[in-house]
Amino acid sequence: MTLAPPRRRAPSKLAIAIALVVVTAHVLAWRATDISPSTLVSGWRGMADFLASSLPPDLSVLGAGLDAAVVTLYMGLLGTTLSIPSALALALLSSRATTPGSVTAQAARSVLSFLRSVPDVVFALIFVTAVGLGPFAGVLALVCHNTGVMGKLWAESMDESDRGPRDALRVAGASRAQVAVNAVLPTVLPSLAGLLLYRLDVNVRSSLVLGLVGAGGIGFLINQSIKLFRFDEMVTHILVVLVLVVAVDQLSSFVRRRLGV
Amino acid sequence: MSLEIRGLRKSYDGRTVLDGFDLDVRPGEFVALLGPNGSGKSTALRCAVGLERPDAGEITSAPAAMVFQGIHLVRRRTALDNVCTGALGRLPLRRSFFFPNTLRSEAMECLDRVGLADRAAERCARLSGGQQQRVAIARALCQRAEVILADEPVSALDPAAAAQVVELLRQLASDGLAVVAVLHQPELAHCYAHRIVALHNGKAASPEVTR
Repeated sequence: MTLAPPRRRAPSKLAIAIALVVVTAHVLAWRATDISPSTLVSGWRGMADFLASSLPPDLSVLGAGLDAAVVTLYMGLLGTTLSIPSALALALLSSRATTPGSVTAQAARSVLSFLRSVPDVVFALIFVTAVGLGPFAGVLALVCHNTGVMGKLWAESMDESDRGPRDALRVAGASRAQVAVNAVLPTVLPSLAGLLLYRLDVNVRSSLVLGLVGAGGIGFLINQSIKLFRFDEMVTHILVVLVLVVAVDQLSSFVRRRLGV
Repeated sequence: MSLEIRGLRKSYDGRTVLDGFDLDVRPGEFVALLGPNGSGKSTALRCAVGLERPDAGEITSAPAAMVFQGIHLVRRRTALDNVCTGALGRLPLRRSFFFPNTLRSEAMECLDRVGLADRAAERCARLSGGQQQRVAIARALCQRAEVILADEPVSALDPAAAAQVVELLRQLASDGLAVVAVLHQPELAHCYAHRIVALHNGKAASPEVTR
């Protein structure tokens, strides 16, 4: 006698509804963003002209590009490290594992949401009006936005930390702050370090974009080259950016692998 | 008495786990709690240390520490640091970042009592399961508890390590502590415990076995 396998279950109404919503969203998005492959094909000549005018790259600006790339790197670095205290404080206040109370947690989460929802470019435009054009405005913008993103990621990491050591220390009479310092942070430290390196990687790329709105660094040079129709200079700067981004990405991945995160 | 539990009741989602559980433990006594899964053994201990709030009943206890089935050490920290965290309840916050030398010395003595003084600087992740559980017991000692409540302390250990840990608990009872351990191994309970209390349907089943 052969055993009959159970019948396949028909998709639930919820699954069908979700599929319909996803398909509809894609149709609407396709229309709203004016996607037109035929326009792309017919406009190939414009792209060809652009590429022709940008090649070969003008290597005479390589030195200036490298100097500016170092500034971009420093912006990303400071934008990441200077946001550590604020991100850590807000993460500790907002994580379920460490917060002193639900009202405090909600307030801290609201601050993180605000900082995260304002794009770093908008922060840069605001700070440029206060401190003028240059990398300082970029660093300030990155600190604000990165506090929001990194604080949220760190809080989630703390939420997911092993509950066992926390319970053990509570039974030993430790306060919430003592539990945070002695159980939560030591447990999640590699994960926090991994997220920090990931954010460094992202912030170096972001600081490039911030340069386009006047925050200095190599993004600023790329913007100037475009405005002056010096696309050959622009390509040189973009090649420098490529090397910088790949180098930071590789370094960050290497260290994260060593940390086991 | 070091620990007195009277009429302890606890339900989860309408399911009664403890239904009038009583227990007395004297200083120097090692009591083993036996019973099937869900009979309320762990819940009784968690209520006794305040991790669960009982629905009814009275608990009177000398300072108590808990040893968990999952060990619950911070695996990245050294054995010594983990033992020091047992004293957090009597340390001000500002001294909780870098433990004072007096506490480190006390923690070394606790590690010595569980036979692990030579592994003090080792990260807990590098210790065996049995050694980790002994570090957790040292942490309970550093808490200066008079009652040690061990919730299935040997369930995850191999038989040799399990016997070593239960023997250590018996030794601590001989030193004057009151020890209650939830065990799933009747042979270990019969071999080492002074008294065995079996739980059935949320109550202590009678008669107790006294050795």
